[in-house]
Amino acid sequence: MSLRVVHYINQFFAQIGGEEKADYAPEYREGAVGPGLALNAAFKGEAEVVGTVICGDSYFNENLDAAKATVLKMISDAKPDVVVCGPAFNAGRYGVACGTVAAAVKDELNLPVVTGMYEENPGADMFKNKVYIIATKNSAAGMRDAAPKMASLAIKLAKGEKIGASAEEGYMPNGLRVNFFEAERGSTRAVKMLLNKLAGKPYTTEFPMPSFDRVAPGAAITDLAHTTIALVTSGGIVPKGNPDHIESSSASKFGRYDISSFEDLTAADHETAHGGYDPVYANEDADRVLPVDVLRKMEKEGKIGGIYPYFFTTVGNGTAVASAKKYGEAIGKELRDAGIKAAILTST
Amino acid sequence: MRLELGEIHISDIKLGDCSKVENGTLYVNVEELRALLLEDEDLASVDFEVVHPGESVRIIPVKDVIEPRVKVEGSGGVFPGMISKVTTVGSGKTHVLKGCAVVTTGKVVGFQEGIIDMTGPGAEYTPFSKLNNLVMICEPKEGIKQHQHEHAIRMAGLKAAAYLGALGKDVTPDETKVYETSGVMSGKEKYPDLPRVGYVLMLQSQGLLHDTYVYGVDMKKSMPTILNPTETMDGAILSGNCVSACDKNTTYHHLNNPVIHDLLEQHGKTLNFVGVIITNENVYLADKERSSDWSTKLAQFLELDGALVSQEGFGNPDTDLIMNCKKLEAAGIKTVIITDEYAGRDGASQSLADADPAADAVVTGGNANMVIHLPKMDKVIGHPEAANIIAGGFDGALEADGSITAELQVITGATNEMGFNKLSAR
Amino acid sequence: MLLVTNNEKVREKFGSLCTLQYVEGGHVDVLIHVRDLVHQGHKLLTHPLAGSVKPNETPFRSVALDDASGALDLESLELIEAALNVCRQFPPRFHRGEDAPADMREDFAEIDFRLIDGAIAPQLQ
Repeated sequence: MSLRVVHYINQFFAQIGGEEKADYAPEYREGAVGPGLALNAAFKGEAEVVGTVICGDSYFNENLDAAKATVLKMISDAKPDVVVCGPAFNAGRYGVACGTVAAAVKDELNLPVVTGMYEENPGADMFKNKVYIIATKNSAAGMRDAAPKMASLAIKLAKGEKIGASAEEGYMPNGLRVNFFEAERGSTRAVKMLLNKLAGKPYTTEFPMPSFDRVAPGAAITDLAHTTIALVTSGGIVPKGNPDHIESSSASKFGRYDISSFEDLTAADHETAHGGYDPVYANEDADRVLPVDVLRKMEKEGKIGGIYPYFFTTVGNGTAVASAKKYGEAIGKELRDAGIKAAILTST
Repeated sequence: MRLELGEIHISDIKLGDCSKVENGTLYVNVEELRALLLEDEDLASVDFEVVHPGESVRIIPVKDVIEPRVKVEGSGGVFPGMISKVTTVGSGKTHVLKGCAVVTTGKVVGFQEGIIDMTGPGAEYTPFSKLNNLVMICEPKEGIKQHQHEHAIRMAGLKAAAYLGALGKDVTPDETKVYETSGVMSGKEKYPDLPRVGYVLMLQSQGLLHDTYVYGVDMKKSMPTILNPTETMDGAILSGNCVSACDKNTTYHHLNNPVIHDLLEQHGKTLNFVGVIITNENVYLADKERSSDWSTKLAQFLELDGALVSQEGFGNPDTDLIMNCKKLEAAGIKTVIITDEYAGRDGASQSLADADPAADAVVTGGNANMVIHLPKMDKVIGHPEAANIIAGGFDGALEADGSITAELQVITGATNEMGFNKLSAR
Repeated sequence: MLLVTNNEKVREKFGSLCTLQYVEGGHVDVLIHVRDLVHQGHKLLTHPLAGSVKPNETPFRSVALDDASGALDLESLELIEAALNVCRQFPPRFHRGEDAPADMREDFAEIDFRLIDGAIAPQLQ
């Protein structure tokens, strides 16, 4: 008996419509639809798409919790051995939806799952360390390439076979180093890599260095007594009650709050939203993370010019680098526009 | 320089009462060889075993692996500065007993390491499972110090390899390979349009059990210098390194340095292989700075366009590796480095102890922390209990049934950083 | 020169030759003590991960720093933090020398001694 596969796709690949149909609510159809036919061909009888879950990209992203629950139920009702999502190629919201569904299938349904997308799809960064994502080309023209890889990995996962290294299976590197045997010995690969490097041709390093996003330090402040200082933290300090509901991990936003009237942060008015460390000491006295009290003291003593009236805060815990970058840029822009020359960033 | 390597293919080793090479079989008179080796006052006993590919045999702990060679024509003798005089080698004609090796075993220190399995899953990870090996179990006299012990076993291996190599002196080689290198000027004239490539060969040189010798000189006491590639084929570089089984360069690796062979293969075709810069991996930080400065300076002196850097060991050599890479790249020399990884058993940890964005072209010999199960072998040569205490083994590694569960780093040569193997990781 | 060690063998030879701080504890305790000294402005002279005996194998560690306590040396800080990070990745098998079997203990102590001796003896002459 062939393995049962349930396939998740969006409204576009189901040939329902483009952007104008992106609010299409989840629907289950028996059998393969659209790209599912290519998957079926690639399964070569070992597996078969028994059902397809279709959901509009806007609908999914705007009704995340409800849409996810409905999609999961449809998938689980079809009793699959393995689930395939997409591929989403370079469609951003579709990629995020595929990643979200795949991660939920893995974590909540405990089923093997494969998705696929282009490496620059925002869903790739968000989910490549959580689920297997086959790296695809940036448009649907890459389907012919992607289908056999997704099909082969899906079958292996469904059968519980050993999964090879990313370079062998075609999934995006997921932070876990896996050994395998190359076709050539290391020295030969090194000589070829060097020849490509010398000729200015593309080559792929076998071990990408951990990403260093080093920023050259700004010039030293020489006149601290007349400099206004801004406070920024990834330690999750928020006004009591967390009015903007900044998430305790994987924060989707940052907050901007007025501290102009505070001499000292106390348990009565501030707390932390951070879920990655023991919050007791930060909740007792938020100055421990966001040092308003000492800065006010220095302001009075004339050591610093003043404190920027708003502080910026988010939760660093598990927050995607891409999101953190976006928040940093927005915060930096406001500070620059306000002519602020110095900021203290605290982390936890 | 021009060196002819005459390869005599050895398909079997037999112990007997006459030492000779005949029809591809190496016959060894063990009494004669034993007497030669026991001239060393520090050795109490030497025993011999022959193992063949595919046999159910485990050798543990392995100290060094050495290929028998002999100088037939040209100046100097093999293993200069140790066995022969210090005369410069690398030209003329050398005979090699291909397909066999001397493997030295014996417990040097309490945590000695290194496994060669001749069959099974472990055999796939070590190149030495494919050779006919003369295993020498060397036991020292009571009461000698660790450094004397290391010296005695090292010398025994080299003496034996030279003794066996000499048996091939008058034998007609099955195959002859010619390696020809150019001088700095003549190479430039001959290959004006080819990129000038050099090889920065990092040698372990930190101290006891971590040393490498070049023409007999302890490399930690030397400044980086330049070798002609063919010198290594006559044993100019010898291993005194007992630690890091998976990523130490045995003498066999130095004799058959794959980077040198692959660069010579491309020499005059796609690149101009200018020379080998040997450098050390010292403990003192100022030495690291000086040596990496010097290897880069020599590379600039040779006007290299590109360089390959190979490493030995893990931990602080990562710092030397990254320093070399950073400085070469900063000097405008395009660089590729070869290393291996300690990414944890799950592969999730940081692979190197040092890193830099300049290292944007890396070849890896695999994750040494990967856990491997080595089934029981019918025969164990050496000290099987060493499995429990070798690096990468862990308590309970040696199961009651004789099988071993351990990290890949216990296997000799498994993640070699000269790129000797096909193993890699992503 | 300032020498930090938990190895009795190193103390014996170098105790009278340079300023020596003996740490009662394991490999990681030595590194933590060295980190504190780096923060106080001492510069590393030897690599804190000397040797290819895996850092989680040997219970002994000796590290040399300079005497001067000047401004914080960032390179030293990076090296010592990276070394501590390696120890966090690969937790030590023997916390202290006395946890290792006697013959291994002696060998580990000898190698640590030899490594630091080779590195600093020329500097002390």
